[in-house]
Amino acid sequence: MKRLRFILSSLQDFYKLSLKAPLGIFRRPFYFKDTLEQMDYAGPGSVFIIILVSLFIGMALSLQISAELAALGLKMYTGKIVGVAIIREIGPVAVALTFAGRVGSGMASEIGSMILGHQVDILRVFGVDPVKKLVTPRVISSILMLPALTIIGDAVSLIGGYYIAVFVSHQSASFYWTQIKDILDFENIFSGLTKPFLFGYTISIISCYFGLTTYGGSRGLRRSTTMAVVVSTVMIIVFDFLITKILLFVLGMRV
Amino acid sequence: MIVFEDVTLSYGTKIILEGLSFQANFHEKIAILGKSGAGKTTILKLILGLQNPDSGRILIDGTDITVLKESQLRDVRMKFSIVFQEGALFDSLSVRENVAFCLREYTDLTEEEIEERVRDLLRRVGIEEAIDLMPEQLSGGMQRRVAIARSLAACEPRMFLYDEPTTGLDPITADSICALMNELSSGQPPDRKGLIVVTHKVTDAVKVAERFLYLSEGRLTFDGDIDALKNTTDDELKRFIYDIL
Repeated sequence: MKRLRFILSSLQDFYKLSLKAPLGIFRRPFYFKDTLEQMDYAGPGSVFIIILVSLFIGMALSLQISAELAALGLKMYTGKIVGVAIIREIGPVAVALTFAGRVGSGMASEIGSMILGHQVDILRVFGVDPVKKLVTPRVISSILMLPALTIIGDAVSLIGGYYIAVFVSHQSASFYWTQIKDILDFENIFSGLTKPFLFGYTISIISCYFGLTTYGGSRGLRRSTTMAVVVSTVMIIVFDFLITKILLFVLGMRV
Repeated sequence: MIVFEDVTLSYGTKIILEGLSFQANFHEKIAILGKSGAGKTTILKLILGLQNPDSGRILIDGTDITVLKESQLRDVRMKFSIVFQEGALFDSLSVRENVAFCLREYTDLTEEEIEERVRDLLRRVGIEEAIDLMPEQLSGGMQRRVAIARSLAACEPRMFLYDEPTTGLDPITADSICALMNELSSGQPPDRKGLIVVTHKVTDAVKVAERFLYLSEGRLTFDGDIDALKNTTDDELKRFIYDIL
């Protein structure tokens, strides 16, 4: 019974935070400097790892698809399949998972350290709302930076796919890019860019929530950071499925 | 006046405070003693409304703060200046920015005026030369001093709250922090600014406090002055204050 009450109370706190944090965007004071700092950490600070991950994902996908299609004599369609897979599904999910591992864990551990070091208590004593000061800038930065990183990641993945298709699988470079151009229609771009906004919001809220609920010293900090990454990872996969389902319905695409 | 009325607080199944009652005037110099985990820091958090008790009332100047909303607690908190253990400085901000934090948040002072006020506060706590340093570049004693300066920038408090202000410091630095605490709480009652220091270092507590409370297993088992403390018959408290006997 006590456990159930704890879970319900935690869920209530989580929902309150998930509503209060984005609403902070519209209420004074505005923490522009904090937001810019967070954007710098989340965006430019993540570019290298995103490029690295995306490049190898694009190459691996292209390699696998080329091999499968070659057996059917259809390997010239590698670009089309790689493009759709990357832009609609794998790109947003892979970048979001990487973002959760790098930025989400950083948010949880930074806020958790501030809780343990009484810095959040000091903010409250000074009359500063910790959600507005700490959570809202992180939510804004994630919502803005994750889509930008996803665009970069998608582009790099397509280049990785191109390298394998052209130089390993010996396909036509112009045909590869023509297929990529063909699949860059509204439906695919809309699908691929809707997800990162929601993923950014989800990762930042989950990570900040676990940071703010840190207790119990360094073991508690380890628990918060781990939970932030694990829960974010699971929710990214679950939301990916749900958004895909909704988008297919909204865009009138039949399965 | 600070009044605790039958305050009880627990974390899960662990009882932290049980039926705690005491009164304190703002000009008093009080040390709350007790072993680690006895709930000493929790009392400071309860006074500031950072935590709510499970039951009981906490009155600050007659207002029950346990029923106030976060937005209503600011006026109560402005009556106190708190220095947490190890300073709790914002580690991404320099000393200057830490001390100027509240001035930037709540005043319309110009940058020149803020700079002047920050230097004045740092001079008051004897650490003006550290103005450009980052918290990780400061020693433990310097961090406490900056924290005191920052808390003074927030308001003109009626009472200082110190959470383990000398823990982890060498005896000389701890002595200088005690001297600073006495200087900030100098004067005669009822006009002086009082202090509540939470510590397990009895030797430092007797340097700054005139009244002593001892917490044991969530209960207040002693409340008295230095003479009463030295003449206590409580075996546990006797062992605790062994250093000053």
